[in-house]
Order: sequence, then structure tokens, then C-alpha cells
Amino acid sequence: MSEKDIRIGAYVCYCGGNISDVVDCEQVAETLRGLPNVVVVRTDLSMCSDAGQSLIEEDIKEKGVNRVVVGACAPSLHEVTFRKAVARAGLNPYLYHHVCLREQDSWVHQSNPDEATAKAGRLMLAGIAKARMLEQLDTIRLEAEQHALVIGGGIAGLRTAWDAAQRGIRVTLIEKSPFLGGHMAQLETIFPTGENARQALHELIEKVVSHFLVTVYTNAELTSARGYMGDFRVTITAQPRGVAEDFAHFDEAAAACPVEVPDDFNYGLTTRKAIYLRYPDAIPNTPAIDWKACTRCGECKKVNGTGIDLDGKPQTIDLTVGAVVVATGFQPYQPREGEFGYGQFPEVVTLPQMIRLMTMQEGNGKLTWNGHPVNNIALIHCVGSREIPGVHEPQEDGRVNDYCSRICCTATLQMTNELHERFPYINLFDLHEDIRTYSRGHEDIYTEASKNGVRFLRFHGDERPEVTAAPPDDTSPLLVRVKDYLTWGKELEVPADLVVLATGMMPNPVSDIVKLLKITEGNDRFLLEVHPKLQPVETAVPGVILAGTAQGPMNIQETCSAASAAAAKVGVLLGQGQVSLEPFVARVNHDLCDGSGQCVAVCAYEDAIALEPVLVDGKTVQKAVVSPANCVGCGVCVSVCPNHAIDVQGWTLEQYEAMVDAITADLPKLEVVE
Amino acid sequence: MTMASTSEDTRILILATLSGGYAGANAVGQMHASYAPNTYILPVMSPAMFSEDFYLRAFERGIDAILVMYSGTDSPYKGDAEHTAQMINRVYPLMTERGINTRRLRLVAICTVCTAAFQKEIRQMNDTLAEIGPVRAELAAPHEQSA
Repeated sequence: MSEKDIRIGAYVCYCGGNISDVVDCEQVAETLRGLPNVVVVRTDLSMCSDAGQSLIEEDIKEKGVNRVVVGACAPSLHEVTFRKAVARAGLNPYLYHHVCLREQDSWVHQSNPDEATAKAGRLMLAGIAKARMLEQLDTIRLEAEQHALVIGGGIAGLRTAWDAAQRGIRVTLIEKSPFLGGHMAQLETIFPTGENARQALHELIEKVVSHFLVTVYTNAELTSARGYMGDFRVTITAQPRGVAEDFAHFDEAAAACPVEVPDDFNYGLTTRKAIYLRYPDAIPNTPAIDWKACTRCGECKKVNGTGIDLDGKPQTIDLTVGAVVVATGFQPYQPREGEFGYGQFPEVVTLPQMIRLMTMQEGNGKLTWNGHPVNNIALIHCVGSREIPGVHEPQEDGRVNDYCSRICCTATLQMTNELHERFPYINLFDLHEDIRTYSRGHEDIYTEASKNGVRFLRFHGDERPEVTAAPPDDTSPLLVRVKDYLTWGKELEVPADLVVLATGMMPNPVSDIVKLLKITEGNDRFLLEVHPKLQPVETAVPGVILAGTAQGPMNIQETCSAASAAAAKVGVLLGQGQVSLEPFVARVNHDLCDGSGQCVAVCAYEDAIALEPVLVDGKTVQKAVVSPANCVGCGVCVSVCPNHAIDVQGWTLEQYEAMVDAITADLPKLEVVE
Repeated sequence: MTMASTSEDTRILILATLSGGYAGANAVGQMHASYAPNTYILPVMSPAMFSEDFYLRAFERGIDAILVMYSGTDSPYKGDAEHTAQMINRVYPLMTERGINTRRLRLVAICTVCTAAFQKEIRQMNDTLAEIGPVRAELAAPHEQSA
């Protein structure tokens, strides 16, 4: 299209007064009238209303407008609205540009209406400058395999699998360990409802594994991944279980096994054998061999000749899936040796260990630990959470956990309530920086703990409590020293028979998956979404979606919400059998490309850009070629091209330069009229 | 009604990532907080796309300061934060060569809720501009080319 054929419609929205109370919209419109290529200029009380949108549609149809610029609220609110209006009138939706006049002008310059009006004029001019260079773009349409891979068999993965299958999407769920259920299986009750955690979990697992659209692999990991949304080629490697489904001699085989290792189900409080069931009614209910621990001595096989195979080979499964959901979960923070006396004194345990200990403790009579009666318990919050750089000792990777793990306050208070209910004689001391019982019903748990007589002591983050051995003649083995700011900084000593560390959440280490899927970890090591509010479960890689605590600390309720959101996203992406991607990806001008390959060298995304032979004037030469489905549009390649041969469609350098020129231009109509 | 003159004012260009600074700017607006109106925010998917030439050209066209509000380590794109920092570092010596004060260009990490930091950066850059003046003076003044 030649420049003279460009016909721009510019619209300035009053936003019901939100803009026009500060910005003189009529003056802005007057500034735009008569500009080259601008054939329609309008103001309206509410451009996003049906009537406002109709104005645009009519101008496209009747006045031949072929580029549209609307100055209104933030593009996150109504850019799509106006793109759709443009498309309804038969124009390519990417021939639209949105200018923010509300959040970035009228709402922040209310005390300076003249400057706000001038700024609005310049922003509209910049928008029009870009609009002159807009091109028709097409969304990238890809065939989509209606099949999702869910990585992780904890509550997030299970819930995602169930919800996606209910939407008609085929699901393959893989779990790294031999059993499903993740950390939820280690809990007894769910706060704040007090439901039986295991029962709720098992109901969900049964539904998932029996769903006709779901295939589950345990002992399985993602080992390769290529492709793009709609067409990911993945390989799963499943380790053998080592035990046949119908094996009926588990107790004898376990008794015969000479290997004993700490039982991670009980966080090392007990031991188990190399042939094991995670817990008696674990799902699948077939025992498994712990290959890291097993010495292949064969003692277990001697119990019964069949049913145990110690020589099985891993199985590889190749799949094509349309989307991948990463639900790899969390691990509890593991305190360092000596941190609050952990590992130094046997009376110091973590909250997850305490939860298991309560399960193993029979009856409601007297609580004992290591054969000793427990009369005083100190529970310390924020262990491995809210750490302060420069104050607290960093971990091996040099980082501290400066985030709040969110669930531990309520979980700790829930523990005090359970302790009080079962062992009312125990003195409970809750040592905290803050109490963050943020969710519905959680404050009731705090209130109940207060009513139960829990003594609350408050410390400052840079003055954390100190756990020491008590003098030999003390009745309790430990003393917890704390500067308590609820008593104006008094130094207190709390006698403790047991110290419970409310450890925070850390993401499971998934660097392999991060590498394979080209997704990003945040500074806190949790996986990063594109936008915490607007795209809360999407990664920058289209088709790779996050669910649950891999993304950040969440309780079970929040995890299920996040998993349902992930499943809904999978349904939206794959439900139609084809997917549409925004066209904002790199594009190479082969007339300018000299095949230097610098763009390929800097690109962090596999298969997004490559040098390929291209026929030019009868000769085969190497040129950069973009795979739109694999490109995320970050533009790193654009900046390194020595010939300016690459641009990101819809966000070209030329467009930015034109906007800069408009912002800096001295335009007569914007000058003071005295 | 007359319009205020902006022709003599300084102008700050803000390149703000859609996943970070641009949303942060909108959050400031939603708070109805206030900052100087000589600020022009352009949304970018990632500032990693801009080479040295883009910044130098913008200064030469009369942009007095550029705040690159990127997403830092929170960027959803792999490697773009490091690349952006590298590109900006390459711009500074070129600015010096052209006699442009390097304080006119700043790379800052701004998140979607970094409202106070967003306003602080604008305030500080305007303080800097009050001290060093518009870029035109520097461009007009003769300067020594570095070796």
C-alpha cells in the first residue's frame, strides 16, 4: 500500500470523564485533524461502548479508514475489544494501535491538565506515527494435538489432569516417584475445613486413574522435548517398578531386604527397606524398588521366585502433545546443620516431621519424643522464609529465601490446635515475626490458638531466636532465647522439650525440565509466569503452562484453583484442535540478511531461528529463517543483526523510531497560544 | 483553551516491558498517584531488541533521558535481561564519545507492582535533568572524540 492510500481514523475517548476531566479531549482531537493520512478524528464519551465501537466500524466501512488509533484506557483492558471491532468491519485486526491516555496520563497528571492535554496530544501523534507503518498480520494458526502432558502426580498435577480430561482433552500424567499423591499424602487433615486429607486425595486419584482419557506413568520423567504449542514431541523415560502388580508377598520380601534407608514419607523419622510401599494404601498399591538404595542382592526374590524383577530396563515413550503442564511441586526447606539447633539437638524437628510424628503417636494421652515426655513445645516461624540478604546465611547457590512461604503460619497454628486438643497439658510457645493467616477461615485458626492459651512471642527478622542446650538441672533439654517485641523487647528464655521449625516451601529442583522446555525460573527459583495477574499460569513459551507450587508457595485450596486454571487454559488452547498465536514474532528480510548467523547464536530458544539454505539468483546461500511457532518475540536477535535484517512483527524498530520522532517533534499545534 | 508549551521542556522516554514496567506504570495510574508529565511510555515486549543505534538516535532527536524499565530477573524471556544489560553497557561509551552525559540513560528493573520505584526513578531522572539540562545543549557543544 502506498503512503497516500493510508487512511487513519483517530479516536479520543472521554472514558466517561476519567480522561476528559483532566485532558481536553476536544483540543487533542483538534491537534490531530488535518495531519497527513488522518481522515477521521472523533471523540466519544465511551469508545468501548457498543456505540463507540460502532463508530469505528462505520468509519472503516463508509469512510475507508484502514488504520485505527484509539486513545483510551490501558491496552490490557480494551485493546482486544477494539481489535475485534476492527475485525468485524472487515479490517485486519493488527491495523489497530492502542494509546493509553488514562492510567498513564489523566489519572497521573490530574493537577496539571494543560500538561496532561499536551502529553495526550503527543501520545496520539506517536500512535498515529506507528499506525502509518502498521502492516496486516495474521495470527499463527497451528494444528493442535488434543493431548496434554502433565508433569507431576501431586495434587496440582492430578487436579489439572482431571479437569483437562473433563474438557475432553487426552492427558498423559507422569510422576517421577513410584506413587501418586505428592506431599498431600503426608498430611492428615486439611485446614481450614478439617477434612481427611488422604481420603480427599484418594478420591481424586481414583477418578483420575480410571478416567478413559487419562494415562498415568509413575517412575517416569520427561527426557526430551521439541516442537511448539499444538505439536510438542516429547519423550518420557519410565524406570521399571521392579515388582509385579499381582505380587502378594510384600511383607516377607521387605523383611528379607537387608537395605534400610531413611523413610522420606516420614521425613527421615523412620526407616524403610529398598522394596517399599509409600504407605499401606498408597496408589498404585503395588510395591516398588527404590533403585538408588537397592543393591540387587536378590534376597527379596528368594521369598517368592516370581513377581520381582531386578533387571528390568527403562521404557521410553514418545508422544506428541499439544500442551505441557508443569506441576512439579515443592519441597520443604531443609534447615542447615545447626540452624535453630536442627541436626545438633534431636529435640529440634521441622513442622512436616511434626505432622508425621503426630500421626505416628498413638492415643491422646501423653506425647513423648525419644522416650521422654513432652511438656513444653516452642514453634518457630519463618524458618527458610523471609530471610534477609546480608543478615542470614545464604544457601549453597548464594541465595536466601527472602519470600514468604504463606502456608506455614496457618499450618503452625493448626498444629498448636491439634496439639492442644490431643495433649492439653502441653505448654505451647509460638515464636513469630508476623502472623499471616491470610485466607478465608485461617484467622479462625489463629483465634482458636489464642483461646487455647498458646503464648505468642514476636521477634524481629534480624534478631531470630536462638536454640541452645539447657543447663543439666533444667527439666527441659533446650532453651529458646528470644527478644520478644510483644513485651517491648524483653529477652526471654523458653524451656523446650521439643522445638518445631515451621519450614518454608522451596520449589522442587527441576533444572532439567526448565532446560528442556525453555521456561524461566525467577530469582526465588520458582517457575515464572508471564504476568502474575493477567497471565498467571502461562509461561513465555506458548503451550507450556504452570500449575501449583512449582510456581510459588500455595496451600491446597490455592493449588487446586491454579490447577483448574491451568486445565482451563489447556482446554482453551487445544479444545478446537488448532491453536492461534499472536503474530509478534521475528521476521527476516532476506534481501538484507547476509547469513552471519549472529541472530542464531544469541537466540535462547531451540529451533526458533536457524540458518538454512535459500535459493537467491540461482545460488544457494545461507539465510536466517524463523520458525514462528518456536519464536517468542523477545527480539534479542533484532539487536545483534549487523544489517538490520530482522524485526519483530508489529513492534518494528522503524515503528519505535517513528514514535520517538513524534514525541520529540515540535509541532505548531502543541505550542502555547497566548 | 490553550495548550501548555512542551517544546522547551525536557522529555523522558520510558521503554517499559509489557510484563513489568508497563503494567507497573498502569498500577501507578490506578493508584491515581502523580509523577511528572514529561514522560512518554512506550510498551516493549523486551528492550533486548534495541541496539546501541536506537538509543543514540533517540538522544540525537531530542529525547533528554531514557529509562529502560525492564523485567530484570523476572523476565519471562530467557536471557533477555542479560542481553539488555549488555546492550545498555555498550551504549554508555558511545554516549561519552558523542558528548552525551551517560546519566541520561538508566536501566532499572520495574515489576508490575513497583509503583514507588517507578515514581522514584522518574523523580530522580528529572532531578538529574534539572542538573545537567536538556540534551540539545550537549549535542550542540563541541566535544572531544575519544580515541
